[in-house]
Amino acid sequence: MEMELTINGHKRSLKFARGDSLLDLLRRYGYTGAKRGCDTGDCGYCTVIVDGEAVQSCVTPTKTVEGARVETIESLGTQDDLHPVQEAFVDNSALQCGFCIPGMIMNTTAALRENPDPSKVEARKAIEPVLCRCTGHKKPVEAVMDAAERLESSTGLSRGSEENIVEATDIGSKGATDE
Amino acid sequence: MSENPNKNSESITAQVESESGLPDIGTGDENPMEWNEPANNRKKPEDRESINRPVEKYDARKIVTGEAKYTGDFRRQFPDLAEAAVVRSDIAHGQVTNIDTSAAEEMEGVYAILTPDSDVVPDSVYTSAGQGYPEPTPWDLRVLREKVRMVGDPIAAVAATDSQTADRAARKIDVEYEELDPILDYRVAMDPESPQIHDSDEIENKQPGANYENNRQSSFEGEIGDVTEATDSSEHVLETEWETPYQSHCVPEPHTTIARRDEDNRYHLITSTQVPYHTRRQLSHLFDIPIRDIRVEKPRIGAGFGSKQAMVIEPITLALSIAADRPVIYETTRKEQFYAIRSRHPMQIRMKTAVSDEGALEAMEMDVLSNTGAYGPHGMTVAGNVGTKPLPLYPNVDNVRFAGDIVHTNLPIAAAQRGYGAPQGHFAVESHMDEVARDLGMDPIEFRQQNHVREGDLDEIAAILGDDEKHARRIRSCGLDECIQRGREAVGYDDVDQPDDPNQNRGIGVALVGQGSGVAGAELGAAHIKMNEDGTFILQVGGVDTGTGTDTMVSQIASEVLGCAPGDIVVHSSDTDISPFDYGAYASSTTYITGQSVKKAAENAKERVLTWAAGMLETSPDRLSVGGGDVTDEQSGDHVSLEEIGYESMYGEDEREHIMGEASHSTDESPPPFGAQFVDVTVNDQTGEFDINQLVFAADLGVAINPPLAEGQIEGGQSMSLELATGAGYEFTDTGVPKTISYKQYGMPRSTDHPPMETILVETHEPTGPFGAKSIAELPTNGVPPALSNAIRDAVGIRISTLPITAEKISAALNQLD
Repeated sequence: MEMELTINGHKRSLKFARGDSLLDLLRRYGYTGAKRGCDTGDCGYCTVIVDGEAVQSCVTPTKTVEGARVETIESLGTQDDLHPVQEAFVDNSALQCGFCIPGMIMNTTAALRENPDPSKVEARKAIEPVLCRCTGHKKPVEAVMDAAERLESSTGLSRGSEENIVEATDIGSKGATDE
Repeated sequence: MSENPNKNSESITAQVESESGLPDIGTGDENPMEWNEPANNRKKPEDRESINRPVEKYDARKIVTGEAKYTGDFRRQFPDLAEAAVVRSDIAHGQVTNIDTSAAEEMEGVYAILTPDSDVVPDSVYTSAGQGYPEPTPWDLRVLREKVRMVGDPIAAVAATDSQTADRAARKIDVEYEELDPILDYRVAMDPESPQIHDSDEIENKQPGANYENNRQSSFEGEIGDVTEATDSSEHVLETEWETPYQSHCVPEPHTTIARRDEDNRYHLITSTQVPYHTRRQLSHLFDIPIRDIRVEKPRIGAGFGSKQAMVIEPITLALSIAADRPVIYETTRKEQFYAIRSRHPMQIRMKTAVSDEGALEAMEMDVLSNTGAYGPHGMTVAGNVGTKPLPLYPNVDNVRFAGDIVHTNLPIAAAQRGYGAPQGHFAVESHMDEVARDLGMDPIEFRQQNHVREGDLDEIAAILGDDEKHARRIRSCGLDECIQRGREAVGYDDVDQPDDPNQNRGIGVALVGQGSGVAGAELGAAHIKMNEDGTFILQVGGVDTGTGTDTMVSQIASEVLGCAPGDIVVHSSDTDISPFDYGAYASSTTYITGQSVKKAAENAKERVLTWAAGMLETSPDRLSVGGGDVTDEQSGDHVSLEEIGYESMYGEDEREHIMGEASHSTDESPPPFGAQFVDVTVNDQTGEFDINQLVFAADLGVAINPPLAEGQIEGGQSMSLELATGAGYEFTDTGVPKTISYKQYGMPRSTDHPPMETILVETHEPTGPFGAKSIAELPTNGVPPALSNAIRDAVGIRISTLPITAEKISAALNQLD
């Protein structure tokens, strides 16, 4: 079976099998930033943004994303030019093993688009879907708060906003190739 | 292999059999306070260039961009990769009578099906415990099992073209059993009427005290002084009992292994492990393949917490790849992680103390009963830590007795988990001490201050089990007084406002905590560093970064020695073909052991750097110092850059040399880091419901090489500790079938479940550690259960002595009080 969807600003036509989750599909096509932690939608490591909303891709049936716009961690910054949310996680030492971090960053990115000025309680809520075992969530919450500030001070650049996604995806699709 | 005696076993046996008197644990003379510390090991804060600085985590950028590669991300490198699935026992105890693989064999896309009888499946016993050789653990496992001892025992395995096909084939394999009665309660495991789980004749490398007829994996006992006499003659004797449940590692990346034969006809494994070298050795022994023909490579790993201080799935994956004659990946499911991999030992602990009227501890006695589950990896050593980690908080007690039994049940395998017995032990010791203080009418902090360990003390309790590899320890650094003081101020211990609602009661609890820095006398780390033309370096270590920041830490230590920036050190870890040997990431050893080997290797390289610089500056090496990427003659001010030295040493006209350094480090020392955990709680005395208002942890970890990463260890450790204190553990049906098989059922705390945390780093200087550092990773997993139990005692006057601490238990205890 085959279907079209937009991944990180690029229209793609991808083959999929019955029973494939969105996570299966993404990882098979090289978008391996999204991690498999549970396959039950509990851990949040596989979070990607579908039509603006953070979803657990492991419990998202592939067929439901036909024609959708999917954003993965690969759509954000590069190691030399990090996205403000990525910068905030790095600079706040809000990561250890890193397995949950793509999920953390995608949840944060989606949440800050909805609510650019979160309270600490809202920042805690933003990463609630992600089960981090390493950090105790203290530094990640600080990173969400810091990311909000960084995004606010870089509003002129509108990084991470909807209209700039296409621009960012030239970088974001790097490494992702056809099967 | 079976003939190899175990050093630990011999010494512990000797201790068990010695009824005569004091254990031989050395005199103070063997543990001098003075330590021959190199002058360069002690750096004033203002002189530190790389250490004790918030250097960006080495792998941070590849993690946040999603480019960090974990084992499962290597799939696309192997186009003919097969996926694995494992058929696991669905009964708790029984004998497999038939395995019908015919339907699975007929399926298209199935490359290999293994059963216990398959040729490639080793017939010998082994242990999964990733420990030194020979392991202080019985060899009681088989790769695939005909006698099943728990739900989850692997019986058959499949390799197929994709994971759906592998899963379908596994489901088509039909297993018949003859069921046996299971043991589901470890407290009755040693009863004569309980069924026997293991046949003693089938186990090799048995440990002291093993009595498989009574389901005892091992036992130990050690005594200093005479506890019976001390308690008989004391007026203040208190005896208490404590219980702790199973805990899942909830390791973010499920165990994943790729195994393949490479073009050199060698076996190459990419695997999420904390112990690549131990795994290589164990695979070699198990499969009878020379060590030289096995390569174990650890990419980024999604943490370990002890679950990967084990060779759990590597043997099945290797056997499948041999049978399928192609690369195979086995990525375990979260469900398997919960019931079939590894967990923390449930324990029952009895504490007894004698104390003087004035509050001086005169005797301590601890008995532990540990449930190692169906098999015994790490069973004895974890139970040993239950006493030898927390009891040394009070090293000046003259009479101490510590004994333990490790027993089998038909429940999940318990093994290494962050803290390694110390969390269970601290719950017993530090909750008990709180009761002792209250019995005497003393403030719990004051009582501890009167008795706790201080710099200069000789800790003989760490060696109470007579293990001659673990010597008595001279405490050369201890910041507990400052930890208590600063934690007390931060939590507001002396000024507790009570809520307006009369049913709401606020209380504060404290627990002191200690750990170790590596396994005393049973560690080895090694490092190799080589210079590039441009004055940068490539550093190779076998130490495993499980996500903690090892790679960052070693870059900071090496750059501090060599006077370059941490970013000028490229770190490679860990690949058994390339990296120097290392025991691996466990026992809070990496900064202390691997870090010290890096410091020595960098110093060896520095000596060559200075020799070359002296030649170039026409001076002598002893006038030179490094810093800021230069080597400078301190008298003349002349300097030469590391880059100039790099080029000159490689392309010079007369002489040429590749500047390198290498070193090993092993030691009998294992200095404890210390800490004080505070919990601020509000309890509703009608319902038992409680809210944790704040967690405060003050840690003495020596000199923190990277303060924010150390804080991260403390905060994450407390999170695991909070879960042990309040989580639900595992539930089973009455036939031993696990009911807790998902995150949802387990209820791991989320961001919104965490109270605010305050983290305080207290600097001391440990002369035996690299630049004064001790460990931090396990210490903070020890404190929340006792500190929370103590806080609730403080708030509403009742004692919760079994984990988890729940509103129901508090409410029930309050009702009894009424």
